[in-house]
Amino acid sequence: MHEEIWEAFEQIHATEQMKQSVSKYLLQNRRKTAKRTHAFLLRPLVSACVILMVCIGVGNWYFFEMPVSYVSVDVNPSIEIILNRRNRVTSAESRNKDGERVLKNVHLEGMDYLEAVELLVECEAMQDYLTKDAELTFTVASANAEEILAGLQNSEVTVHYQGMCRSADLDTVTSAHQCGMSLGKYQIYQLLSEYGAGLTADDCKNIPMCHLRLLLAQYEDGKKGTVNYDEIKKLEVGCGHEGGGHHHSQNHH
Amino acid sequence: MRSEQEVEQAIELYSDMIRRICLLHLNNHEDTEDVLQEVFLKYVLHSSVFESKEHEKAWLIRVTLNACKDLKRKLFRHSTVPLDVLSEEAASVMPEQIGILEIVLSLPAKYKDVIYLHYYEGYTAREIGMMLHKKENTIYSLLSRGRELLKQKLGGGRNA
Repeated sequence: MHEEIWEAFEQIHATEQMKQSVSKYLLQNRRKTAKRTHAFLLRPLVSACVILMVCIGVGNWYFFEMPVSYVSVDVNPSIEIILNRRNRVTSAESRNKDGERVLKNVHLEGMDYLEAVELLVECEAMQDYLTKDAELTFTVASANAEEILAGLQNSEVTVHYQGMCRSADLDTVTSAHQCGMSLGKYQIYQLLSEYGAGLTADDCKNIPMCHLRLLLAQYEDGKKGTVNYDEIKKLEVGCGHEGGGHHHSQNHH
Repeated sequence: MRSEQEVEQAIELYSDMIRRICLLHLNNHEDTEDVLQEVFLKYVLHSSVFESKEHEKAWLIRVTLNACKDLKRKLFRHSTVPLDVLSEEAASVMPEQIGILEIVLSLPAKYKDVIYLHYYEGYTAREIGMMLHKKENTIYSLLSRGRELLKQKLGGGRNA
């Protein structure tokens, strides 16, 4: 029986047509699977590329573009230099008409903050404002203010023009911009308000920086009471920069 | 995924075996072709390495038996009318062996597999038990009862 069963089954073979049909079916299936595999592999690859590009974009913005520090340079031209995490200039914005005039001639983007400040102060357009009565003020708002202030205090321009370096809260940056003033001018406006000078933000906007600083010095020395209308009018034209139209090219140092 | 060459070799080597197992369970060539395609597709996609040719063959037997059972279930649901599969083999098989095959195929399904695997493929009861996930003693019983049934149908006078 064993042999008979074996011999009977031995007669049974898969036909060539069956084998070819299997080969053909597997070939078709292999192509489909390959396509699916490519699509399957491609999808995460595309997703990974998109994520990578987003990360690069965000990282680039975070390290190179995100505003972290603000340095307000006030003579009478008021210019604000915005710095990234690496203390490099991402943009420079004028905060009054004189500032606008100065910035037309200098490009500070991408420079280290000290180089930028030196270039700005030493530029020909700014030199027109650094007259006898002029006061150079740097106001820094940053989480890293100490380091920036230290750099500014030791810079050639601060020493040369006897500039004053101050720090301000980062919160005041937005308030200053809302009032249309530079950070440096806004800080003096705040201090004068604390002394009860009775000046409005608009008054301060029109008073040159040198006179604001003189006024502040008077209050710090004990001046009392509010500044009246006549005094404001005198203060507005005193240095002759904002709206005054006359600029001296000589340097008082 | 296995290489084309590897798969072609397997088709050449195992198609006959799969065809024979299909004969035990299925009713026509079309169903056999379906099973052949399904089994070899699983073989193509099976990523594990076989320890030996014997391991590979046992894996294919198990996959073929499962594919036949699945197809039968599907055909039952679709109320397909079975054809006499042996009539399709009549041209290639000698008449006296057609008789033997008819008797084996007429056995209940549980006996057909063990009879084929033991008498044709030469597996022991232990090996068949491992392949079909059944106890060795169960296989002995199935073989013994299957043999009895075969003897009865063949005329009872022959030795297994």
